[in-house]
Amino acid sequence: MERRDFLKVSVLTGATAALSGCEKPAHKLVRFIPEEDLVPGVATWKPSVCTLCPAGCGLMVQVLQGEAEVVRNGKRGTIQMGLAKKLEGNPNHPVNQGKLCARGHAGLQITYHPDRIGSPLKRSGPQGSGTFQPATWEESLSEVVSRLRELQSENRPESLRFLSGCLRGQRHELVRKFLSAFGAPPAMVFDPLDEPVLRQANLLSFGQAAMPSFDLAHTSYVISFGADFLGTWNSPVAQSVAYGEMRQGRPGSRGKFIQVEQRMSQTGASADEWIAACPGTEGVLALGLSHVILKEKLRTPADNTATRLIAGWSQGLQDYSPEQVERKTAVPAQRIERLAREMAANVPAVAIIGGSPLANTNGLFSALAVNALNTLLESVGTPGGLFFTPQPPLENPGSLAGESDFASVLLGGKLDGTRVLLLHNANPVFATPAVWKVRDTLDKIPFIVSFGSFVDETSQLADLILPDHSPLESWLHDVPNSGTNQAVVSLATPVMLPLHETRAMPDTLLGIAHQLGGEVAKALPWGNFQEMLQASMAPLRTTEVIPPAPDPEKFWGKVQAQGGWWSDKVRRPAGPAIPHGHVVTEFVPPQFDGEESSFPFHFQPYVSQAFLDGSLAHLPWMQEMPDVLSTVMWGTWVEINPKTARKLGIEQDDLVEVRSQHGRLSVPVLVSPGIAFDVVAMPMGQGHENFGRYASGRGANPMAILAPMQVAETGSLAWAATRVQVSKVGKAKLALFSGGLFERPSELQHR
Amino acid sequence: MAHRWGMAVDLDRCTGCEACVVACRAENNIPTVGEEQAQKGRAIHWIRIERYYEGEFPDVRVKFQPVLCQQCDNAPCEPVCPTYASYHTDEGLNGQVYNRCIGTRYCANACPYTVRFFNFFNPAWDKPLHLQLNPDVSLRQVGLMEKCTFCVQRIKSAEIRAKEEKRDLRDGEPEPACVQSCPPRALVFGDVNDPESELSRMARSRRDIKLLGELGTQPKVTYLQRNEWNDNNT
Repeated sequence: MERRDFLKVSVLTGATAALSGCEKPAHKLVRFIPEEDLVPGVATWKPSVCTLCPAGCGLMVQVLQGEAEVVRNGKRGTIQMGLAKKLEGNPNHPVNQGKLCARGHAGLQITYHPDRIGSPLKRSGPQGSGTFQPATWEESLSEVVSRLRELQSENRPESLRFLSGCLRGQRHELVRKFLSAFGAPPAMVFDPLDEPVLRQANLLSFGQAAMPSFDLAHTSYVISFGADFLGTWNSPVAQSVAYGEMRQGRPGSRGKFIQVEQRMSQTGASADEWIAACPGTEGVLALGLSHVILKEKLRTPADNTATRLIAGWSQGLQDYSPEQVERKTAVPAQRIERLAREMAANVPAVAIIGGSPLANTNGLFSALAVNALNTLLESVGTPGGLFFTPQPPLENPGSLAGESDFASVLLGGKLDGTRVLLLHNANPVFATPAVWKVRDTLDKIPFIVSFGSFVDETSQLADLILPDHSPLESWLHDVPNSGTNQAVVSLATPVMLPLHETRAMPDTLLGIAHQLGGEVAKALPWGNFQEMLQASMAPLRTTEVIPPAPDPEKFWGKVQAQGGWWSDKVRRPAGPAIPHGHVVTEFVPPQFDGEESSFPFHFQPYVSQAFLDGSLAHLPWMQEMPDVLSTVMWGTWVEINPKTARKLGIEQDDLVEVRSQHGRLSVPVLVSPGIAFDVVAMPMGQGHENFGRYASGRGANPMAILAPMQVAETGSLAWAATRVQVSKVGKAKLALFSGGLFERPSELQHR
Repeated sequence: MAHRWGMAVDLDRCTGCEACVVACRAENNIPTVGEEQAQKGRAIHWIRIERYYEGEFPDVRVKFQPVLCQQCDNAPCEPVCPTYASYHTDEGLNGQVYNRCIGTRYCANACPYTVRFFNFFNPAWDKPLHLQLNPDVSLRQVGLMEKCTFCVQRIKSAEIRAKEEKRDLRDGEPEPACVQSCPPRALVFGDVNDPESELSRMARSRRDIKLLGELGTQPKVTYLQRNEWNDNNT
């Protein structure tokens, strides 16, 4: 055994001979022997995977030698070790092609966060109190095992539930195998960034329950209905790379981009034309465009599953003439005709839908309408159009499909009777409407185990916290759902040793399975997650691979060096659509909670550029990053149109109360020209009660006052379907980066 | 010929995503100051994205413009420094020698771009966040001015690597952190003295403007204005 291997083993198994050998009572500071032979000051770059959003970008991590205080076997000491210093995009990764978003850079701070949980914690106060005391791994694991054995002996394995955020690849496969061998129901997924409505629409239109990808680099015309595809939506880095090419990457040809939304997003700010249709009528606009194209025979009329789902398509969409569409959407009829002609004349053209249009009660109709428009534009599976990312040739790539949605389980009352809940990477107490009473439901569960790295609003309800490694300390495995036309399996080794006494969640789960024995242990024969990954990647060696590898060991080494496996470029055609009977979709006006007379404004929460749904609010780099449109740092705000504000007697920096039928918030006002008169908008992410020192007690959480409205067909939360009233209650002060800066756009005109 | 480093910013590609802003913070050990100090205008961002609204609802448009030190050839910040902390390097950068700086802030007053920042206190990181610090970039104490360096440490390491391999630098080889991370490739870095560089090619675009160029500062950052749809690209 080499010295390096020995030390690795000693760290992992806790046989820290090195530590006990050096320790003297008088010297609390203990020096370990260097783990790796790093040259001081010389950086090495190791591939990794970004886990902060479902895009799944590839990373390169700069690792430099440094001295870190670490804990091993409850003892603190300083060791020389490789430390991650900076994250950049992996230039070879097919999704992000060397680029990285703002949030990805800040992912580094998760590893070094001062409020990270460093060892198992056991609840010490009353249930839900959020007071914990440190515990050992042995006692913690044996408690979990004895709870699970109780369920087995009472023959009630179904009362174990697993709740997770975005869960993909072999992590997902491990959880799936564990639950199914135990006899528990499949994992519940809670991911506010997921678009279940769009995946359902794609299943109906194209036979693919997946997020779409777009060949923006080769398109001439893009119309986006509400999708913040250059900011936070779907695969934003991949989409931004392609967007740059669409604008200026092809000499002589600059693609046009139209954005349809009620509140100007970061993406909408880059549009050539920005159109505010009435909330919930985006699908009507898409069909209005289709109507003109069909009527004027600008494109060959399409007839396939996507169009057959739309009522009246074969009759030329007679209910969607420009005049009728103008009445519903408030977009002038002439403009609809002009856009339709432009679009049809500038192919390849592609339509995108995402965000608030899908979060209205009629979201599925809007998505199906946009899918039909894409079909009419012949942009499905063609260059410059919409396509689906091919999945790797594995038996179970481990996608989200088939899992149960947390909201439907919760609202269907199916969480009652749950005895043990395992909680991974999800914070539903924060990111759901208060009227759902998630906290009350979770309070009734006798035993909750969290794998979280931080105490947040949900993990504070846990009885036991078994902290996961940070992503940079972990074996990672991911299968991106969108953003590339290559099949991708991202795989990464840990880039640094763990700083704390944490354990990778997959290894913890494997440990529990082995202690349980029986069927569960049989289903999970691997000694650790690394072995499972190696086994799972093996079948890929004989398929097309870059670079080709002759034997399993070399293949495994190459996959690790590259940061994963990816196929040659193959575009997956839209698959056969599932039979859909005679059900056709037509426009049903969106439903909103609250009477217009007393609640005059549409309330639109939106995914924050810095914090996404709130899961990144604990990172100081994100808190101090000025939001690009408002330039606000460290805060939250509600956006109101200047005319509306004048009418209400409200000015910038006033504090207002935003009130729905289900709750109220106090929040500073940001007067912004980029929003409709009857809409107020608020970024998600702030308003944490308990999420580390940088986020706790800061700002307000728009999710809290949402009405329990659902998208009719999928049951998912219609988070854009709440009406509110706004009234001034006092003064506030936002930290604006633009304050005091010269802003003289006229200067731009000078050469 | 010696290198002269410059940058081009294609505003038609920029999406306002802020990747450059955070990449810069990570690379250059820029401290966070917290809400209270940020309200006082003491937050430090070597690169920022300015946004300009035009028009009223529903005919609203926004323009984004990343602004960083323009590395002027005729820099107003240099002659005003009493201690020669602000000086012009051989490769055309506006250098800032921290050891010479005594914090008069004359340079900040002279700079028309407001890209120079004063350290109102010693930077602090809650442990173990200090482990993220880049050892290639020195920390700035209270009383010092700081600003964008075009990631001089990355330029130097690329130059050293090329010298070790006994070759010239390739175009695009030194890349500041902002340029490296920019998803739509709006930022391009290169040698102004090399007429074949991507940068020089972009600077010859008819969309080019210099920020506050009429002041005679001779900035080495060239902005390429956003196109209208019918313009096609140039």
